[in-house]
Amino acid sequence: MAPTPPRLLPALSLLLGAALWSAGCQRDPAAALAADAGAALYRAKCADCHGAKGEGVEGKYGSPLTGDWSLARLTRYTALNMPDDAPETLSPAEAQAVSAYIFDAFYSPAAQARLNPPRRELQHLTNTQYAISVADLLAGLAPPAAPPEASAPAAGGLAAVYFGSAQRGRFDAAKAAHRGVDPGVDFEFNPGSPALARAGAAEFSVQWRGSLLAEETGDHEFTVRTPNTVRFWINAEPGVPADASLDVNVSNPTRPDHRVTVRLLAGRRYPIAIDYWALPEKPGAPPPAIALRWKPPHGTERPVPARLLSPAPARPTLVVATRFPPDDGSHGYERGLSVSAAWDEATTRAAFEVAAHVGRRVDRLDGTRAGDAGRAGRIEAFAARFLAGAFRRPLTAEEREAQVAAVFRAAPDPETGLRRVVLFALKSPRFLYPDLPSPEAPGSRVAARLALSLWDSVPDAALAAAAAGGGLVTPEQVAAQATRMLGDPRARAKLRGFFEHWLQLRFVESLPPDPAHFPGFTPELAEDLRTSLRLFLDDIAWDGSGDFRELLRAGHVFANARVAGYYGWPAPSGDGFARVATSPGERSGVLTHPYLLAALSHPRSTSPILRGVFLTRGIVGRSLRSPQVAVAFNDAEFAPGMSMREKVEKLTRTENCQGCHAVINPLGFSLEWYDATGRFRREDEGRPVDAASDYFADDGQAVRLGGARDVAEFALAHAPSLEAFIEQLFHHLVKQPAIAHGPGVLAGLRDSWIASGHDLRQLMVRIATLAALHGLEPPPPAAP
Amino acid sequence: MTPILRRSFLRRAGLPAALLPLIHGLPSLGLAAPARPRQRLVIVFSPNGTIPTEFWPDRTGTDFALKRILEPLAPHRDCLLTLRGISNRVRGDGDGHMRGMSCLLTGTELLPGNIQGGGKSIPAGWAGGISIDQEIRNFLQSSPETRTRFGSLEFGVGVQDRADPWTRMSYAGPGQPVAPTSDPYQMFEKLYGGMRDRAHLRSVLDPLQADLAKVRRMVSPEDRRVLEEHETLLRRLERETADRAGPPTLEAGVADQNDNVPRLSRMQVDLMVNCFVNDMTRVATLQYTATLQYTKSVGSARMNWLSISDGHHALSHEPDSDAAAQEKLIRINTWFAGEVRYLADRLAATPEPGGDGSMLDHTLIVWTNELGKGNSHTLDNIPFVLLGGGAGFRMGRALEFDKVPHNRLLLALAHGFGHRIPTFGKADFCSAGPLALG
Repeated sequence: MAPTPPRLLPALSLLLGAALWSAGCQRDPAAALAADAGAALYRAKCADCHGAKGEGVEGKYGSPLTGDWSLARLTRYTALNMPDDAPETLSPAEAQAVSAYIFDAFYSPAAQARLNPPRRELQHLTNTQYAISVADLLAGLAPPAAPPEASAPAAGGLAAVYFGSAQRGRFDAAKAAHRGVDPGVDFEFNPGSPALARAGAAEFSVQWRGSLLAEETGDHEFTVRTPNTVRFWINAEPGVPADASLDVNVSNPTRPDHRVTVRLLAGRRYPIAIDYWALPEKPGAPPPAIALRWKPPHGTERPVPARLLSPAPARPTLVVATRFPPDDGSHGYERGLSVSAAWDEATTRAAFEVAAHVGRRVDRLDGTRAGDAGRAGRIEAFAARFLAGAFRRPLTAEEREAQVAAVFRAAPDPETGLRRVVLFALKSPRFLYPDLPSPEAPGSRVAARLALSLWDSVPDAALAAAAAGGGLVTPEQVAAQATRMLGDPRARAKLRGFFEHWLQLRFVESLPPDPAHFPGFTPELAEDLRTSLRLFLDDIAWDGSGDFRELLRAGHVFANARVAGYYGWPAPSGDGFARVATSPGERSGVLTHPYLLAALSHPRSTSPILRGVFLTRGIVGRSLRSPQVAVAFNDAEFAPGMSMREKVEKLTRTENCQGCHAVINPLGFSLEWYDATGRFRREDEGRPVDAASDYFADDGQAVRLGGARDVAEFALAHAPSLEAFIEQLFHHLVKQPAIAHGPGVLAGLRDSWIASGHDLRQLMVRIATLAALHGLEPPPPAAP
Repeated sequence: MTPILRRSFLRRAGLPAALLPLIHGLPSLGLAAPARPRQRLVIVFSPNGTIPTEFWPDRTGTDFALKRILEPLAPHRDCLLTLRGISNRVRGDGDGHMRGMSCLLTGTELLPGNIQGGGKSIPAGWAGGISIDQEIRNFLQSSPETRTRFGSLEFGVGVQDRADPWTRMSYAGPGQPVAPTSDPYQMFEKLYGGMRDRAHLRSVLDPLQADLAKVRRMVSPEDRRVLEEHETLLRRLERETADRAGPPTLEAGVADQNDNVPRLSRMQVDLMVNCFVNDMTRVATLQYTATLQYTKSVGSARMNWLSISDGHHALSHEPDSDAAAQEKLIRINTWFAGEVRYLADRLAATPEPGGDGSMLDHTLIVWTNELGKGNSHTLDNIPFVLLGGGAGFRMGRALEFDKVPHNRLLLALAHGFGHRIPTFGKADFCSAGPLALG
C-alpha cells in the first residue's frame, strides 16, 4: 500500500472537520475555478515541497504524495493544514481545486494505476497449487477408474463384512456372517452385544471398506484403538499389506492406541479400510474392541463423522509430504513470487519424493508386471505422458527424443530412466512456472490458466483436448469450459480456500473465548461451529442460488443439536447438521456467524475493534493500514461497569487513533448484539446494548447502523464495496493484480455481476475467462 | 569361497583413511583421533540351537582346543571367548521358541498378546522390555563423542517378512520391535539413498539449465529477473552435487532368495563393515533368518549350497541317535561360524580409523542362538561366543558357568561399554551382578 500521508493529523477531530466542511465538500459551481487552475496552484504552492509530479523532495517532504484517502478527506486536510508554512490560507475553492488536481493526477490508486500500471508477473506455483498439480498429474496417468455402482449409497458409513472365524492375515469368504454399512467403527464386542451377534462366533474378523472426505488440507492424525490385531489403510491401497498405514500383527493390550498421521488435501475422497481379527487372547484379557478416531487440522480427537464416510471406494492420491516455505503473502494474498534457496530445495526434495513414489509403483500405475515383454517400452511411454502432463501440453518430437528417449537409452534400467524423467519434469521451469509462453501448443496456456484459477491444478483430459483442438479461443468457448469445470469438486475446494482467506479463518487455531467464562463453549462446540460455517457457505455457493446477497443477509444457519442448544435455536432432528431458521432479524449471514464472531473476540469479552477491522476490510472493502501505535486492550484499566463500547470509545478517542477508528468503530459496534461466543444478547454488563452509530462512507455519505443487517445492506448497495469483494476473489483465483487486466476490469465485473443477480458462480466463470484470455486474445481479423 | 563372492563391488574398506572419499553428510575420516577409543558391538544370531558335543571346548581356561563347529574361528583364537553354562531363565507366557527369540536380548518376560505358540502354551505378545543392543545404542547416542548418524543398524539375512515374536530379537522398548532389513539394496538405500538421488539429480541438471536458458529468452525483460534467480539456484545445486563423491556400488541383481543366502550374507557383512568405517553406527545386529528357520521361501529354508536339502528346523528336531542328521547340523553350524569368521576377518584386516590396531580390536562380536540344543528345546547352555575386543574382557579363553541367568551376561556387555546399570531385564536374575569377564 502507499505510504501514509503526513503524520501530523489535524488538531480537530475528523468528525468535527467533516461537520465543518461537509458543505464545502460539495462542488459549488459558483465558486469553482477553472480546471487547470488546480494545476497552476499546485505548481505555485505545493511543488516546491512535494515535487512536480508529487514524487516528493528530499529534505522537504520526501514521501510520494499517494494514498487511499477519499477526495473529500484530502480536501478537508489540505484546507486545514496546507501549505505547511501558511496553513488555512487557501480559500475553500482553492483547496477544492488543488486537491482535485492532486487526486486525479497522482494521488489516488486509480491515478497510480494509470501512471504505473501493475502487470501480470511471472510467478511459480504456490504451495497449494504444487501439491494439487502433482496429485492430479499422477491421477490423470492412471487407467480410468470404474464408475461407482449406481446402487451404492453415497454416504453415511463404511461397508462392513463380519466373518465368523479369525485367521490372521486372511478372511474366509465361506464364513461371512453379516454384511452391511456401519456409520462408524466404535465397538465393544462384549458377550451378548449386538456387535458380537453380527459376527456370530467368539473368534471372528471384520473388514471395513470405503472412503473418507477430507474437508481441510493438512495433517490428519488417525487413531485405531484396539487390544487386538488390526491393519489400517488411509489413502493407501486397501488390502495390500505392504501399503498398510498401520500394521498391528501382534496384539498389545498394554498399548491399544495405534496412531498414524497423514497429509490430506481438502475436498477429496481417500480410501479408508480396516482389517480386524479378534484372535484368542490370554485368559482374563478384556473383550475384543475397536474404535476409529481422528484429529483433523483445527479439530479435536473424536470419532470420524459418519457424513464424511462412504462405502464407495476411492483411489489413493499422492499428497506430497515435503514441506515448502510459506508463499509470498506481501500483497495480501498468496503468490509464488519469491525464488529462495529454501523453496528451491523443497522443489528438489519433493521431486525426489514423487520419483520414489512413482518408481515403487510403476507396475501398478501402468498395469505392467515384471517380466512382461515390452515392459521397458511401456515404462518409457508412461514417462513421456508424465512429462507432457507436467508441461501441461503435448511434447514436441524434439522434447520426446531429448528428454525421454535419450534418457532411457542412457539409463541402466527403465526404472532409473523413469526416475530421471520425473526429476527433470518436476524441476523444470515449465512445470514450476505455469504461465510461460508455449508457442509449441497454442491454447495450452489458456488451459493452464483456467485449470489454476478454478482448480489450483493441471488441465484435465477434456480441457487439454479442447486446447489442442482449437476449442479454447473465443471467450464463449472458454466460459463454457469454465462452467463445466465448476462442477468438479476441485472448484469447491478452491472457493473454500477463498472463503477462508476472505473471512480470515486461516490462522485460527483455537477460538479465544474462555470455556470457564462461557460454560458450554467447548473445543467440540468450536469444531461444530467450523463445520456449521462451512456448510452454510457451501450451501449458498453451490447447492442453492449462488446469490452473494444471501451470504450477507441470510437468517438461517446450519446447526446440530449441540450448536442449536448453545445458541438457543430450534434443535434439528437427528444427530447431524441441518438447516435451521433463527428468530427474525437475529442473524445476517456470515457477518453474524458465531464462528467468526468468536474468532474476533477476547477470552472474556467481545472485541468491537477486531470485528470492526474485519467488517471494514472484508465486507465494506476499505483498506486500513496497521495502527501507528500498538495499544493493548487491558480490561483492568477501565472503570467497572463500563460497557465494551464505552471502553473502546475511550481507548481510541485520540485524533491519531480516530484516523482509522472513525471508520472501524461504528462497524464494530454494530455487532455488539453478540457476545464473545456469538450468542445474541440484549445487555452488556447489565446495561442495554448500544449498537447504533453513524458511519461515514468514503464519499461522505452518512449511514445509520443499528446492527449487522444495516452493514450488509450498505455494502450490497455500495459499488466500491462490491468491487472490493470482486477484487479479493479475483486475487485468490488468479493470483495476479486485478487492475493488471485493464483499468475498468473491476467495474465491468461488478456490472455484469449485479445483472446476473450477484451470482457467485457466474462471477467465478467471468473472472477465470477474462484472466485466461488476457494478453492472449487472437488478433482481430485484418480489415477488408 | 568362490571368486564371485570375493568379487563384491563394494568399495573395499581396507583402504587407508586418506583415500576414502568425503561422503556427503557423514563425518569425514582421518581427522583427529577420538578422545576415547571407539567401541562397537555386533550381535550375530543363528537359530535352532547347536550340537553341544561339537561346539563346546572340552577344557576351560586359555589352553583349549576348538571343536569342528568353532574351527573356522581358529585364526582369531586369541580374541575368542566361549561361555558355557549360561541359561535363558525367563519364563512366563509364550512357547519356548518365542521366549527364546524375544527374551534373548531383553531378558524379561513377554507382554500379553495373541500369538499362539506350540503345545499348550499361553498366547503372548511382544517382548516386555528393551533389548541390550538398543540399550547400549541409546547410551552411546546420549553422548556427543559416541553419537553416530544411525546409532544402530539391524541387518538380516533371509528373515521372513512377518512381524511376530519369532522374527524379532531387537526391541526399542516394551512392545516396540525393531525390524531387521534383509534386503541389502534396501539397506543401501537407507544408508546412501540420498547420495544416489543426488547422482540422479546431477544427470538432469544440464538439460534443466539448457531448458531454462531457452525459456528465459521467451519472456519479457521484467520477468527475466525471476528466471535468473532460479538459474542461480540451479547452478548452486550443481556445485553442491558436484563436490560429493559417488556412493559405493553394490553388486546388482542379487535377489532376496534362499539360494542366494551365501552372497547376501557377504553383501550384508560388507555393508556393515563399510558403515563401521564411516562411523555411521557403533551398534549392529546380524540376524540369520529367525527362530523356527522361517525364511522368505515357501517352506523351511534349505542349505542347498552345503548340499543339504532338508530344512534346518526339521533337522534340528531329529534325535541325537540320527547320526546323519547330526552331521548335517554340524555342517550347518560350521557354515554359520564361517560367516562370523568372515566378519571378523574383514574387521581384522581394516586399521582402526584414527586409532590403534585393527577394527576388530575395537569391536565386540557376540554370536548367539535362541536355544541350547534344537531337539530338546533347552534354554540352558545357550551358545554364546564372544570375539574381538574393546570391552575390557580378557579374551582367548573358554569359560564355564553354573547355569547362570543370561541377564548377567547382558549386564556385563553394558558394563563393558561403560554403561553401569545395576540390572537389565528381569531384576531378580541380576542379583549376583554382571558376569566377570575381565
